Amino acid sequence: MSATTAIAKDSFVVLQLGGRRFALAAEIVSELAPPVRLNEFPHQTPVVSGVIVRRGRMIPVYDVAPALIGKRSPASRFYLVATRRFHSNAELSAIPVDGECELVNAELLPTPDDSPKYVAGMLAVGDGRIEVLDFEKLVTAEPQPIASAAKHPGTEARS
Amino acid sequence: MTTVMHTIPKPRRERPKVQAILFTAGGRLFAVAADAVHEIRSADSLAGSAVEISQSPVQKVKHFVHRGARVYFVVNSCVHFGLRPTRPRLVLILRGCPAAVLVDKIERMENIPAPSPLPFAFRGLEREWYLGLAQIDDQLIPVVDPAGFLSNAELTELNATLRRAEAGANQELQGART
Repeated sequence: MSATTAIAKDSFVVLQLGGRRFALAAEIVSELAPPVRLNEFPHQTPVVSGVIVRRGRMIPVYDVAPALIGKRSPASRFYLVATRRFHSNAELSAIPVDGECELVNAELLPTPDDSPKYVAGMLAVGDGRIEVLDFEKLVTAEPQPIASAAKHPGTEARS
Repeated sequence: MTTVMHTIPKPRRERPKVQAILFTAGGRLFAVAADAVHEIRSADSLAGSAVEISQSPVQKVKHFVHRGARVYFVVNSCVHFGLRPTRPRLVLILRGCPAAVLVDKIERMENIPAPSPLPFAFRGLEREWYLGLAQIDDQLIPVVDPAGFLSNAELTELNATLRRAEAGANQELQGART
């Protein structure tokens, strides 16, 4: 394995949502986009809340906040743009975040048994543990009602 | 942090323009290609000629109208799109499909960019409702597919209902004559 590959494999973008921290593999993250207009229109796809336009491209937005923090996304939100694969196609996709993100290099630790399916592993960062999100499983998870989602929000355990 | 991990390339070409009618339904803005609309009438003017479909098999269709030799099923666009019901003021009589669509109002006619396909993320009925999304100024507008207002299955059911009603009426008429 080359040094570059090793760095990429262990690189994560730590994002904040509703005051909690989560991580995504850096290799799928494109950018942190500033607050822009969320275009909403009638549709029937769960979790998708609308579409933003970024550099002339239409990027679907997944509202993952109910699943992760049991609350709706903050009103003035930034968007973390990542790539989602659809068979042979790739599509830029966005999730709302609070705006504070950082790039960290850390070893991916195993997922605790009782973790939700969208948790791909854990990171030990500082004195805390951060859930690493499986982006595909997160955006295709059955939508959680706000009240029940709050019962098992993502954990940022302190060790 | 505002770290940019990879650069998102800009799309290169400007999309061709199409003449469109921008209308609202349930308070939401939509576009439809102007050449897909045969006629725009006030809903009130159509009320006298609309025939109720008793026990309609399609919830969004309660009436039909005759325009010349053709039958058009009157589609409530709010029900179609799952929006809060509003009082429709206009009806768009479509060209090429037997649907007359009740809408709130016409906002304007405009040359809009040809719609971009819906992102892959969308996987519900909206893939049948819309031809895609058009960017007008800083806003994305769904461009409706006229053929999406009534599916083949819905049309088959509605036509069958009309035939049954017609057969029933004929029988009643014959009974009255004998």
